[in-house]
Amino acid sequence: MTNTYIESFPAEAKVVRAAFYSSFLALAIGGLFGIIQTLHRTGYYRFMDSADYYTVLTAHGVLLAITFTIFFLVGVFTWATTTSLDRPVEDIRFTWAWYGLMVLGTVLTAIPIFAGFTDSEMSASVLFTFYAPLQGHPLFYFGLVLFVVGTWLAGVDWFRSWWAWKQEHPDERIPLPTFMVLTTTLMWYIATLGVAAAILLFLLPWSLGLVESVNPLLTRTLFWFFGHPVVYFWLMPAYMMWYVLLPKISGGKLFSDPLARVVFVLFLILSVPTGIHHQYLDPGIAEGFKFIAMTNTMFLLLPSLLTAFTVVASMEHGARQRGGTGYLGWLKALPWRDPVFAGMALAGLMFAAAGFSGMINAGMNINYLVHNTFWVVGHFHLTVGTAVALTFMAVTYWFLPQVTGKALWSRSVALGQVVLWFVGMTFMSNAMHRGGLLGIPRRTAEPQYEGFEFEAAVGSVGELDAQIALGGALLTLSLVLFFANVVGTALNSRSDDLPANEYADTLSGPSDAPLVLDNLKLWTAIAIVLVIFAYSFPLLSIIERGGLFGPELTELPVSIGLGLEYLWVTTVSTVTAAGETAITIIAGVSS
Amino acid sequence: MSQTAEHEASNETSEHVREIGHDEFDPIGTLTLIGIYFLILVFLWFFMYFVEFLGNDPTVVSGTLVFLATGERLA
Repeated sequence: MTNTYIESFPAEAKVVRAAFYSSFLALAIGGLFGIIQTLHRTGYYRFMDSADYYTVLTAHGVLLAITFTIFFLVGVFTWATTTSLDRPVEDIRFTWAWYGLMVLGTVLTAIPIFAGFTDSEMSASVLFTFYAPLQGHPLFYFGLVLFVVGTWLAGVDWFRSWWAWKQEHPDERIPLPTFMVLTTTLMWYIATLGVAAAILLFLLPWSLGLVESVNPLLTRTLFWFFGHPVVYFWLMPAYMMWYVLLPKISGGKLFSDPLARVVFVLFLILSVPTGIHHQYLDPGIAEGFKFIAMTNTMFLLLPSLLTAFTVVASMEHGARQRGGTGYLGWLKALPWRDPVFAGMALAGLMFAAAGFSGMINAGMNINYLVHNTFWVVGHFHLTVGTAVALTFMAVTYWFLPQVTGKALWSRSVALGQVVLWFVGMTFMSNAMHRGGLLGIPRRTAEPQYEGFEFEAAVGSVGELDAQIALGGALLTLSLVLFFANVVGTALNSRSDDLPANEYADTLSGPSDAPLVLDNLKLWTAIAIVLVIFAYSFPLLSIIERGGLFGPELTELPVSIGLGLEYLWVTTVSTVTAAGETAITIIAGVSS
Repeated sequence: MSQTAEHEASNETSEHVREIGHDEFDPIGTLTLIGIYFLILVFLWFFMYFVEFLGNDPTVVSGTLVFLATGERLA
């Protein structure tokens, strides 16, 4: 007996495994589209029509940013709650139900995206940022709704486990991994209200032809209401791995449980009221509102810097317990040959670089200079593309034996894979950042123009393109090695000599954390109040200026014959009237 | 299920030579690394001024012309 996860929780291990495999499938397809884009954009190999580039880009974005990340994290979160509460899920059929709903949602979303490659009428080449005026087939939006509802139900599952556990352990602190899952889930519930409103009230009815137009700025704002916190939905599970797994792999203990709790509470509070920082260049939102979003964003640096400190201190604790000495000499004592460690540590290092480019994006005036350029693409390939993706791939090498009961196929290939990813991303992302500084645009199939050349102070555009293509090729090779390991492990026979399902102990434990940190109701309430502060005025002013459904719809004749349309218009006019009343009240209060 | 960090099976070179408790642990190495990172950030922040502001035209914010960067006033 080795006490792996699959031995303790065989039924749950199957769900976690299914979630992981679903995420890997998305990673494989999304990654393939990544190299196609890389070669197309840089002009090294263009085998498709440039119009199809945007279909490829949509599939790359949706499959990697939504499907890969979220399927992986629901697996990790299910592992975290069951392991740290030491209890199975309350009803495994419910767990399979939300997983099934997420799969169904993904398939329905993928159908119209992939139909974009055919001659059919159906398409949804609306990119990952699917706000108006780009319009996709209704199935795209419907699938996304099902997927998000699946994640909501997954959250219900984790909360059910915690509630049941609390009945039996009324005086105990929430175990740290479960605490991280619950705070992240609460943040996700608040964040997804924006995208739910954007899809259900506007984009889906518009795509179905129930309404003639939408207010593009409103759908953009609602998208970014969700679009920024979604990055923390990807990042929080990576942080969780850095907090609960990395210290153990380093040979030490988590430096501080209270600090970890503070970090997750801060993310719950601050993740959502920041989305407008993606809209610094949007006309129609007053600069005062943008300034508030910038302030909130800068506050978000705090939990990330706290994380940098806590995680590095935990690694140092491990290194010193392993005999490391000196100011920097302890770094050599870390287990760099362990792919789980090396992958996570390199991911963390890349995240430190991403912190800088993120600060540039967050600053309102500096953002003007890099907005919509390749710089931004470079930035998020460091964050979601490395800090998150490389961490997920590294911990896969720890999780696979846990959920399959089989030894990892090859640790050497795994180590090569994580290093290759780091090197490939260094080439690609660095060149993307530099390209952005030259003004090279993002989301562009052929970023070259007649009679105009981007001028580089150092190097040349050709050199940047070469770096991007080389980086993309290395990343693709890294992916191939990753999948070889996943498949090789799956084909292995069951092993009795596997590490136990354990996570890091703490130097400073939960008893040192103030009790108020576990008051989830309080933090949720504060989070909601901050969202109301940050968003109510901008949203009302956007609606006041452009109308709920854009300028045209206000003249739409009420047709009693068309029941559905009548119902819709009635709802719309009621909501509009309510909005106007609210604006009048606010105007009255402020004057 | 948390436990002491004794044997780490996924870690073939794990040489646990000593146990360091809460009070004995002095994360001076962390301070050194974070300090280096801070210096890099400060350097990049200054570098940004040269790359962006001196390399580009003035940035217009809210109708106010930022001319400090170039030392020129625009009409």
